[in-house]
Amino acid sequence: MLSRVAENLYWMARYLERAEGTARLINATSRVLLDLPRGALFGWDVLVRIVGHDRVFDEAYSAHDEGNIMRFLVADLGNPSSILSCIQAARENSRRLRDVLPRACWEHINAMYLKALADVTGRSDRNGMLEELIMRRQGIDGLLSECMSHDIAYQFIRLGEHLERADMTTRIVDIHAAVLVPRQQVPEDPTVALLWVGVLRSLSAFQMYRRHGNVHVTSAGVVNFLAKDAHFPRSVRYCLDKLESHLSELPHNATSLRALRRTQRRIDGMNLDSLSPALRHEYLDAVQSDLAHIHDEVAQGYFHYCEQQSGPLRAEAA
Amino acid sequence: MSLNLQRYPLAEAYDELVDKDHVPRPAARVLLEYLQTLGDEQLQARRAAVDAAIVTMGITFTIYSDGENIDRAWPFDPIPRIMTGTEWRRIERGLKQRLTALNLFIDDVYNAQRVVRDKVFPAEVLASSRNFRKECTGVTPRFGVWAHICGTDLVRDRDGAVYVLEDNLRVPSGVSYMLENRLLMKSFLPELFEACPILPIDAYTAQLYDMLAALSPRQDERPVIAILTPGVYNSAYFEHSYLAQQMGADLVEGADLVVGVDDCVYTKTIDGLRRVDVIYRRVDDDFLDPDTFRPDSVLGVRGLMRAWRRGKVGIANAPGVGVADDKVVYTFVPRLIRYYLGEDPIIPNVPSYLCMNDAEREYVLANLDKLVVKPANESGGYGMLIGPQASPLERARCAERVRADPRNYMAQPTLALSTAPTLVGDGWAPRHLDLRPFVLQSSEICVTTGGLTRVAMREGSLVVNSSQGGGSKDTWIVEGKD
Repeated sequence: MLSRVAENLYWMARYLERAEGTARLINATSRVLLDLPRGALFGWDVLVRIVGHDRVFDEAYSAHDEGNIMRFLVADLGNPSSILSCIQAARENSRRLRDVLPRACWEHINAMYLKALADVTGRSDRNGMLEELIMRRQGIDGLLSECMSHDIAYQFIRLGEHLERADMTTRIVDIHAAVLVPRQQVPEDPTVALLWVGVLRSLSAFQMYRRHGNVHVTSAGVVNFLAKDAHFPRSVRYCLDKLESHLSELPHNATSLRALRRTQRRIDGMNLDSLSPALRHEYLDAVQSDLAHIHDEVAQGYFHYCEQQSGPLRAEAA
Repeated sequence: MSLNLQRYPLAEAYDELVDKDHVPRPAARVLLEYLQTLGDEQLQARRAAVDAAIVTMGITFTIYSDGENIDRAWPFDPIPRIMTGTEWRRIERGLKQRLTALNLFIDDVYNAQRVVRDKVFPAEVLASSRNFRKECTGVTPRFGVWAHICGTDLVRDRDGAVYVLEDNLRVPSGVSYMLENRLLMKSFLPELFEACPILPIDAYTAQLYDMLAALSPRQDERPVIAILTPGVYNSAYFEHSYLAQQMGADLVEGADLVVGVDDCVYTKTIDGLRRVDVIYRRVDDDFLDPDTFRPDSVLGVRGLMRAWRRGKVGIANAPGVGVADDKVVYTFVPRLIRYYLGEDPIIPNVPSYLCMNDAEREYVLANLDKLVVKPANESGGYGMLIGPQASPLERARCAERVRADPRNYMAQPTLALSTAPTLVGDGWAPRHLDLRPFVLQSSEICVTTGGLTRVAMREGSLVVNSSQGGGSKDTWIVEGKD
């Protein structure tokens, strides 16, 4: 497997996952906002912070209103994590992968791109468009899972996807916690529960949380479920386990696996039951830098592997 | 839409499927009779099915330029072009003869230059050849073959005779479209593939693989073959990726390759360096190796020429091969065939006038309104003057260019390219076409069965190049009565 092809596969998957994650986040938040009491401070700007581009936003827009923030998150090519930017980047990556991916994959991504180009403004149109993007993304996932050999190329797709997903889950949990700190002193206030439902919904986790976690929505319950549940596909723990099994299929994986296991141990060792929101934020921050570290090890170990090896190249440099 | 042979508006040119009395040529009889039995509804439905398939392929043939996405469907006409097996076998022999002679010529000009010493080929033409690469002198690639893949453009004039229009030796494209056209055709007229003895064409990718494998410097191991593409922005990227997929070869860009101190070429993989034995390059000489050619090239590989010269990697087509892909050199090919092979050319050249010879240049300048004038080194129809269709100003400008640099120009009479029935509007009409077969040579020599038929979709137009809005047809070689 060419290093460049592996890198293209990995990023294609990360971008698709990020586009889907953002679409979920927007839809779930829109729903939560409808239930908020009048005057509540929680607003659209939270979303900008979740995707981690508040500075880019502030440079381009003056008001934190719904229209601006939606444009920024959905269709602004100046925002490298907007849904359109992500799908465009995934499309450019997959264009170079036609000999590796099933033929229909390109057509699906292209269809997503054309859909994302559509200019939608109203909440209901937007909701419909985002739902469709999510469905198409899931179609691609199914196509890859069922119509592509689970070869080395496939492992890189799943690596990118699960790393991005774990990261997105920590961000969503983290930011909601952070937002709640200054405003809500009573941890189990009904509005707080409402926000945690929003978090669960954005990860399609509400039903499974109730079934396998707890009928009552509490912050400790939700955070534990999303960080540590072994069976829910969007929990951090589950994503890490998947990363482990995909990394195990790759050659010379010792350093990447070491970085991964450190993260698994951190998650296992966290007591999330009685954390102050500030401490929780600190914990999740640490998990995010762990994930960044896993990415670095994968990039060094596979995308830039040849640059570090001795042999014909090293001799030339000497 | 319904098709009726009596109402087919024959043009003045030779028609590939229909004779001048509106009678189908024997090899086309089954097809034309069948098409006429299809009712309006049937024809529409099938046309729609093919169009739908083309929409899918339109995504496949996406072109990217200037940051805009142009999803261009490959224009395909579903009425095939038909040639008899007997005629085809003669053409096939002629193509093999031609490429054999061209390869002997290229090997000669980079080595002993016997052809120049024997005054068969003028020293001054060689000296002024823009595509002669001094870096290639003294090299003898395996089998003495330089041009491994050649796309030869053939045309038929009004008298029915087939001529060679040009030899494309650098990075000829189109073979993947030939293969895709056959797939489309099978969905348009599946019945005829049972009724007609149509020769299959799908041996090509295996033959390409074998031809490339024979170039490997490590013959005792399964060769690692890579296709070197300029990247996704190249209009033929689809073909590069298609061929890589069909042959199980790596599709690589310049940055994926590296030449070591041992002069071997390697790909950068997730598991370390992997030696490459053969590179099918789809990058022009100029961009191949920034150490040797254009230093600003980011498409090539530093040290690739060194690796090739030392025999550590096979490159198809070999660097420097463009010396024979020159419209002035073209005029010498019949002489080269006689010189190297002692045979008469089986397929003639289009009669040509060389502007470097005083008498011929004067004839060209006096008859610009009747001739097609071509620069020696352009491809894709660029820089060409079609005299009868040009304005007086365009002809005057062309005359200036010819006088300033006569070596760089040649001229040919305007041919009445043959036509074939093509679906237009709600019926059929004749459109002009040519044929590009692909010839492969390394340890053996072989030719595609037929080739890519390119068709000028506009009425009366003679320009078939896909970069200039041409379309294509499936090409049937049919056995049986001629």
